[in-house]
Amino acid sequence: RRPPGRRRHRQPAAEGCPPGDGGSMRCQQVSVLYFARSAELAGLRCETLSVPRQITSLQLWEEIVKIHPRLAVIRDQVVFAVQQEYVLLGDQLLVLQPGDEVAIIPPISGG
Amino acid sequence: MDESEDVPKDFIKLKSEKLSVDEVSELVISPCCGAVSLFIGTTRNNFEGKKVIHLEYEAYMSMAETEIKKICRDVRQKWPSVKHIAVHHRLGVVPVTEASVIIAISSPHRAESLEAVMYCINTLKASVPIWKKEIYEGEYSWKENKECFWTNTEK
Repeated sequence: RRPPGRRRHRQPAAEGCPPGDGGSMRCQQVSVLYFARSAELAGLRCETLSVPRQITSLQLWEEIVKIHPRLAVIRDQVVFAVQQEYVLLGDQLLVLQPGDEVAIIPPISGG
Repeated sequence: MDESEDVPKDFIKLKSEKLSVDEVSELVISPCCGAVSLFIGTTRNNFEGKKVIHLEYEAYMSMAETEIKKICRDVRQKWPSVKHIAVHHRLGVVPVTEASVIIAISSPHRAESLEAVMYCINTLKASVPIWKKEIYEGEYSWKENKECFWTNTEK
């Protein structure tokens, strides 16, 4: 139940996080940020996602692609930034805290 | 100027307004420095035969500032005599010939600031989460720096 006055926003749950079962599956709410081409493909710039507390970066990517299938085309080009540290897509185990920020980072082009 | 207040400083700014070479240069001027070196990146009007109308930049703001701070820290480690560093990057629409990035660095002698400026722009292109979209007539393209550290031809 949403508190009164709170703006509606999507809170999709990843597989392995049954709704309301945050205890035994140890799920965390994280903020996912989309930039550049990934924002165009996903159709949004940010959302809150429920994910298992321990998850590899590749598993996290796969959870996000289940929700936004159009992102699949950039899989080989992106990295994550988890709490503003770059993480390659792969076996690296992420230990996520509630409210952590995860950003999808397409190939950069500053300067 | 009170010289005891002339401690080394980093000036980092991401903004949508037009950048000013005068403003960025003046930030790094120091009485103990005989050199101020500058890099200005400007929007080109063409790419592979296509006419570029303008560039559009976006950034992961908080992380971009953090990454630029890391670059400044690295510069000071490699060139300890560097005094002040200024990095201004424009966001949003940047028309042709206007500056998208200005880097200014001061040092007592010219070799250090010249080398540090080159390092700064090269590393910015490899590691700072900023993206540019090239707008042509009727189409656009998200650019990818060849320096981007996670994209390579071996993939």
